Amino acid sequence: LLTLFDWLQNTALATWISQSDSVWVYPSVLAAHTIGLGVLVGISAVIDLRLLGFAPGVPLAPLERYFPIMWVGFWINAISGFALFAAAASTKGVQWIFYVKLALVFAGVILLRLIRRSVFRNRAIVDVNVVSSDGRLLAAASLAVWAGAIVAGRLMAYF
Amino acid sequence: MDLNALAGWMAATPLSTWVNAYGWIWQTAEIVHFVGLALVVGIAGVFDLRLLGFAREIPVGALNRLMPWAVVGLVLNIITGVLFMFGAPSRYLTNPAFQLKILFMILAGLNVLAFTLVYSSRTLGLGAGQDTPSGAKVIAVTSLVSWFAVMYFGRMLPYLGDAF
Repeated sequence: LLTLFDWLQNTALATWISQSDSVWVYPSVLAAHTIGLGVLVGISAVIDLRLLGFAPGVPLAPLERYFPIMWVGFWINAISGFALFAAAASTKGVQWIFYVKLALVFAGVILLRLIRRSVFRNRAIVDVNVVSSDGRLLAAASLAVWAGAIVAGRLMAYF
Repeated sequence: MDLNALAGWMAATPLSTWVNAYGWIWQTAEIVHFVGLALVVGIAGVFDLRLLGFAREIPVGALNRLMPWAVVGLVLNIITGVLFMFGAPSRYLTNPAFQLKILFMILAGLNVLAFTLVYSSRTLGLGAGQDTPSGAKVIAVTSLVSWFAVMYFGRMLPYLGDAF
């Protein structure tokens, strides 16, 4: 695996990101990662807060239209995250906190899919705009997992 | 205004000493700053998109009930932002990325003020499917552009200029 990380870090893409003379390359990838976070976690938080009972006047059905926008945020971060990882694979790849972050992001995406299936695709819930306790539990878990992913992601700079 | 003198004064405050006394203070403030970012951008962004006509079945006033959470995010970020500024004033005050970030924050603030004064009474009562006045759409676009610019220049802070 370490060989793989070394190889990854020495690919043309990775060296371009990590060693480009332009001040724009690495920081712009980093900025994209932050913006993707804002889109994905921010919209997810809106949906989670609604499911938890804040802003009860917001109907559930139209909120489902925000899922594709969240996936855009997710893919911005999957791509920018891969680029940032490639640029420093041999150091990031051996950080346990990196794998914690990866696991939390994975859990966050799974929770979003579960929320979509068990809340937004459930006519019994969407038609009457009353969230079940399962839905509230998923929403609380989603908020906790995203917060955890942010903590782990930030701490990668210090490990 | 002499920014370097101001930075020197800030660096000599007890707050500046405290921020730099322990590594965990800065690291924790960074985490809080990113959580606050998500709240502000997510809630403001969803609200702006509704003003622009996306997911129009959501009553504007109902969505506005989430705004206190955006304010929580904003307050967290102002507090942690002030900690960063006092922690390393010379890196921030004269940094072009920081100055642009502040500029876009002021724009976002004036934009909220304009919305509150002129368009809140004309939009918060709008129900499912109702369209907003075009002026409110201009406000929404300004808001989206400002917050994305705030994030962008915030993240570019350590890399623009030679302060870091």
